[in-house]
Amino acid sequence: MNEFFVAVGLGMCLLVFLVLYRVIFGPGVFNRIAAISAIGTKTLIILLVLGYVYNRVDMFIDISMVYALLNFIGCIAAAKYLEMER
Amino acid sequence: MIISSDDIIIKTIARIFVPFIQLYALYVIMHGHYSPGGGFQGGVILGASLALLLITHGYDEMRRRIPEGVVILLGSVGVLIYAGIGLTCLLLGGNYLDYSQLSVILHVDPAHARSLGILGVELGVGFTVMAIMYSIFFDISTGGILPSDEKRSEEWGDNE
Amino acid sequence: MEVTLFIHAADDAFRILENAKVQAVGLLDTATRLTSETRWMEEKKVQAILKGAQATRSGLQNFVATFVMLMGFWALLSGKFDVFHLSLGVICSLIVAYLSHDLLFANVRVGDGRVIAQRFLRYIPWLLYEIVTANFYVAYLALSPKMPIDPQIIRFKTKLESDISWVTLANSITLTPGTITIDIQDREFMVHALDKKVAGDLDTGEMEDQVAHIFMEADHIYIQDVLDVSRIFAELKRGM
Repeated sequence: MNEFFVAVGLGMCLLVFLVLYRVIFGPGVFNRIAAISAIGTKTLIILLVLGYVYNRVDMFIDISMVYALLNFIGCIAAAKYLEMER
Repeated sequence: MIISSDDIIIKTIARIFVPFIQLYALYVIMHGHYSPGGGFQGGVILGASLALLLITHGYDEMRRRIPEGVVILLGSVGVLIYAGIGLTCLLLGGNYLDYSQLSVILHVDPAHARSLGILGVELGVGFTVMAIMYSIFFDISTGGILPSDEKRSEEWGDNE
Repeated sequence: MEVTLFIHAADDAFRILENAKVQAVGLLDTATRLTSETRWMEEKKVQAILKGAQATRSGLQNFVATFVMLMGFWALLSGKFDVFHLSLGVICSLIVAYLSHDLLFANVRVGDGRVIAQRFLRYIPWLLYEIVTANFYVAYLALSPKMPIDPQIIRFKTKLESDISWVTLANSITLTPGTITIDIQDREFMVHALDKKVAGDLDTGEMEDQVAHIFMEADHIYIQDVLDVSRIFAELKRGM
């Protein structure tokens, strides 16, 4: 079962690298914000997979919930700032 | 100046989420010695929940809920709890922050007294961190415009 | 002799049919007039009930409901059920419920919470099924070599009333791949759709009907349906 989770984690890392292209080369700042938010959702899954691999899921669920929260609030705060800047 | 946004999706979602975020932050503070967390982390999450309310609901709503004086008062209360527990341990005959001396007041054995002492200290740290983070965010986002300036510009008429 | 009797009988039959038609048309007239009058009175009564029901959901009921939900959430988070941690949970839930009791249940009518929760739990599998089928279609669109997408923005007015139902509908539209809700400006939705087929799936209004069924709204729109049907009958009557 461990190998399956490790394979899933590596697949998610590959997807993160694909989205990283938009972060670096995205023309304008809105593309970059949306891409960072998408990377955040992949990071949640990677954290949970790590929790299964290290056999301590309950600890990693707490960490991933906090990261989901901060991702959400950060995206809203960045969008609000850009709305006021115009 | 953050006026309340007329975007109804963000407003509704923020208003539904905030009690759950605050309860999660208190859970993180209370279970500091079992799972990752503790005082500072829970305080940051509490401050983030108040910042979310500020972003989506605007200044006037937040000033009505939590006046700025109350925020600073909360920060001071947190420091008071921390120093108070330390001084209580000192007055009971041990070192500063030597929680095993608290077993005299609480009628538990010293190991339990240490656990409860650390819990109290973490609570104080959490309150202070929440208050200061929210206060800093509030002050920076006003952009240096005080409430008296807003009232004066309303009375004299805006010429912007 | 039999022929004249037959002609008299046919004449009587036609006169009876004529009277029946006149009476039916008269009944339809009164029915239309009554429904248009009673529709206005029904609207007033429903508004009065809604306002009264909102007024009686006091702060204390909000506080208790919020406390119960937060206690359930705490029990879910912390797996320890000894007295010390449960008492900590009760204290924390009391503090949070006191500070933010007017946030969670601002617009819900009295006594509707249980029905809405049941219907919401039955709505979730349907939404998951929609998401899975739309996933396959969008994956096919994105992976085909010439990528036949046709991005367009749709506007439509919604029949839902409270803000929670708007937010539920907007989130359901955004969760379904292919459509994203951009904005809601006083009951008008602006949705960005990827293709004509997903736009057509949205235009049938099935998701809106499901969400209205959850929150028990737009029930009195059926009087509008009766009025429409009676108008069609009036057209047919004139042509009879």
